[in-house]
Amino acid sequence: MSDLPPMTSVKRWLVTTNHKDVGILYLGTALFFLLLGGILALLFRAHLWESGGTGLLTGNEFNQAVTTHGLLMVFWFLSPFAAGFANYFVPLQIGAKDLAFPRLNALSYWFYLFSGILLGISFFQGGSLAGGWTMYAPLNVPTYTPAMEATSGGNAAVLGLALFVISITIGTVNFLVTIHRSRAEGLGLWNMPLFTWSWLLTVWMMLFAFAALLAAALLLLSDRLFLTQYFASEQGSGLLWAHLFWFFGHPEVYIVFFPALGIMFETFQTFTGRRLVGRKWVIISMVLVAVQSFLVWMHHMFLTTINLEITTLMMATTIGISLPFDLMVFALIYTMVKGRVRFTTPFLFSLGALVLFILGGITGVFLGAVVLDYEFRGTYWVVAHFHYVMVSGATALIGGLYYWWPKITGKMYSETLGKLNFAVFFVGFNLLYFPQFLAWETPRRVFHFADGMQIYHQISTVGAFVFGASFLIMFATLVHSLLYGPDAPDNPWEFSRTAEWAIPSPPPLENWDGRPSYASGRLEFANDSAAATDGGVAHSEASATAHEEEHADHASIWPFGIGVATFVFFIGLSGITSYVFEYAQERSETLGQPLNAAPEPSVIYPILTGLGLVLLAVTLFKFGVEEFNAPEMPVAERWPFEGVGNTKFGVWVFLASDVVVFGAIIGAYIFMRLHTGWTEWTTVPFASWPGLLNTYVLLTSSFTVILALVFAERQSKKGLLGAMGATLLLALTFMGVKAYEYGVKFSQGEYWWTGIEYSIYFVTTGLHALHVIIGVLIAMFMIYRIVSIDAYLEDHRPVEFFGLYWHFVDIVWVFLFPLFYLM
Amino acid sequence: MADVRTYTLIYVVLLVLGTGKFAFFEFTPYNIALTATFLLAIVKSLLIAGYYQHLLEEPRSITYMMGIAVFMVLLLTIAAGYSIQ
Repeated sequence: MSDLPPMTSVKRWLVTTNHKDVGILYLGTALFFLLLGGILALLFRAHLWESGGTGLLTGNEFNQAVTTHGLLMVFWFLSPFAAGFANYFVPLQIGAKDLAFPRLNALSYWFYLFSGILLGISFFQGGSLAGGWTMYAPLNVPTYTPAMEATSGGNAAVLGLALFVISITIGTVNFLVTIHRSRAEGLGLWNMPLFTWSWLLTVWMMLFAFAALLAAALLLLSDRLFLTQYFASEQGSGLLWAHLFWFFGHPEVYIVFFPALGIMFETFQTFTGRRLVGRKWVIISMVLVAVQSFLVWMHHMFLTTINLEITTLMMATTIGISLPFDLMVFALIYTMVKGRVRFTTPFLFSLGALVLFILGGITGVFLGAVVLDYEFRGTYWVVAHFHYVMVSGATALIGGLYYWWPKITGKMYSETLGKLNFAVFFVGFNLLYFPQFLAWETPRRVFHFADGMQIYHQISTVGAFVFGASFLIMFATLVHSLLYGPDAPDNPWEFSRTAEWAIPSPPPLENWDGRPSYASGRLEFANDSAAATDGGVAHSEASATAHEEEHADHASIWPFGIGVATFVFFIGLSGITSYVFEYAQERSETLGQPLNAAPEPSVIYPILTGLGLVLLAVTLFKFGVEEFNAPEMPVAERWPFEGVGNTKFGVWVFLASDVVVFGAIIGAYIFMRLHTGWTEWTTVPFASWPGLLNTYVLLTSSFTVILALVFAERQSKKGLLGAMGATLLLALTFMGVKAYEYGVKFSQGEYWWTGIEYSIYFVTTGLHALHVIIGVLIAMFMIYRIVSIDAYLEDHRPVEFFGLYWHFVDIVWVFLFPLFYLM
Repeated sequence: MADVRTYTLIYVVLLVLGTGKFAFFEFTPYNIALTATFLLAIVKSLLIAGYYQHLLEEPRSITYMMGIAVFMVLLLTIAAGYSIQ
């Protein structure tokens, strides 16, 4: 059944791909980053004891602490902690045995862990990022800010963020395929448990929102590593960053809060003994919020130079998004009124979260009004408001930890300790954040404030330590439970109704003995193999299922290997700016970036970059050739994505994400060109014919890829090899033309740092070229597989998947050609 | 899946449309060329997605998903562009 070592073995945790193990890894790692972010918060709260600071931190250290605290809590704690629960419980709640792509799930985790380590060690590379968690331009690049010289640590922090987003993207693809295509028989979307509903909407929002953040991070990295000018130009850079960041940033609020909301729905139902009032309308409200979350981002930009019409529109949409939330809040309140409340620890945390969220929501409405925002923007009102929202999410998540703790560990916890934990938590929280409303005139991100504010800041600092102590109580409660807690039954809660409570605590590796089914209207376990035997004639589908499921794999070391390789590669990249700077200095008299911005070169960085690339090549190859069986559920609810296989659907989801990444980067070009004046833009390519030639080359390669699929279907090895070989040659021809084109520009003394037009041209076409290079590598791998093991003749689907990617690369060029070569 | 003849026909049409974009900017006023080129680019993309990526044969929900992704890009680009007018 299992090729996994026991849970006491370290090796188990390095090789596991099982969703419950990965969930535990996420939960543990997120709690570690919570502690790290919390310690940083205590440091700067102590520094804020008196105006001007106590001297505990220097100015730059304060900026680093505030910045990385925000980054850690928003990115490395809140969402991954929710992802831990989602990994563990979403497959259980929908009746699946695992996520659709278990190895990719493990890869998501390792990318997450190593991205956090990148951020952690950035402090030791000359200092981490210090421009605030929103990384506003030009504070995010060295220009104009001598105090924030381009340290390798700052680069490492942004690289960590990019790797985190890649981890999120992989996870998003995995969960969307899983929830849409692996629901147990009879489990329609309307009947899904509310935590799974909240997570489904979370990952849909993540798919589009994080793609915009990835685009922003890639452009920022391009500026920081290669000295391009996206966020360093005198005009437009600040607005460009704000648009890209907040297009992600506002949905991110709901991305963070939705899983917490899902836990609140689950725990309210369980501990009031009543179905959620207005359940259907709550789901509709969540869907509305998910849609509306993409229509409000400019309320974060009221004080920029955007026009009055758009600010007015965004004020209206902002007020609009509060309405579905009102419905959800009232649904929770009425559920309490209609039911009989059991004040257990998980319920107390959920109820506390509701109270705090109401306060956070109301104070946010002030900020959504343009006139009031002029007064409140950039003050502690904002700090207090978003902590009441975000940390209320954390409050519900901790409620979730208590709620599911018996299921995960098989141990009950002490209710007395749990309630003490909640009491200290709730008092500490309000002591910490409420005085910040009263001290709202304090400007955020600085440690100087008016004398009258001091008492509020001192109460807030005391509250921070009380709040911090509540987490020590939480850890003590959990350790006490592990050591002395009684064994947990399958279902310790009287009125819990979701499927995870129908199996042992902790659940077995394969989750279920039979096949979960809701076909009769309630959870049952069908025994397909027995039915086939009784019939005397093999029931082909069911017996095949039973056979395949016995051989589902749960272990692979290569996700960990790819994680290590990427980590080494990214660490190397974080220190290459100095070499790029030297290269640029030799070729240009004037650089857009200040000359004193580059750190001292260190040869270790190029070595690590090269080593990382070699390791990546090896581990990706091993990952590609590894036999790993993750069978699709033969009987499942799949609306609205039936009729397409898991992997193909996964490729399409990935492409949808890539559409937004590329689209945002092309959008950045259009925005900057509009800002400059459309017809005043300098066309960079020396002629339009290389673009036209490459159009013909790419279109022809699209044709040869489709021929490859035709030959694969006909099981013609020679034809398949010929078509794939032709595709490879055409891709290399494309790169050759591109190299010639770049070479001409370099010979004219024009590089990517020459000006904003040049940066945009080189980065956008360069990113497209990177996609072509990735396609070349995949094509080479596939040709190797065709030659060595006659691959794709029996199962031609991988050729089709490669084609989907390659045609997408072609479509992008369809737009890049006119945009850069003709207009 | 379509047959080789259909794929070839699409390929020829794509080549012609690709050349068309170039020709517009050589022989027509800038504004007309701009509009016509965007239209041609959209037609080309739909042909590639519909016939080479077989989007026409996939469940319609995949088309909607890709449509939402494109909508997100247009929303960001157009709203951001409008905000500085």
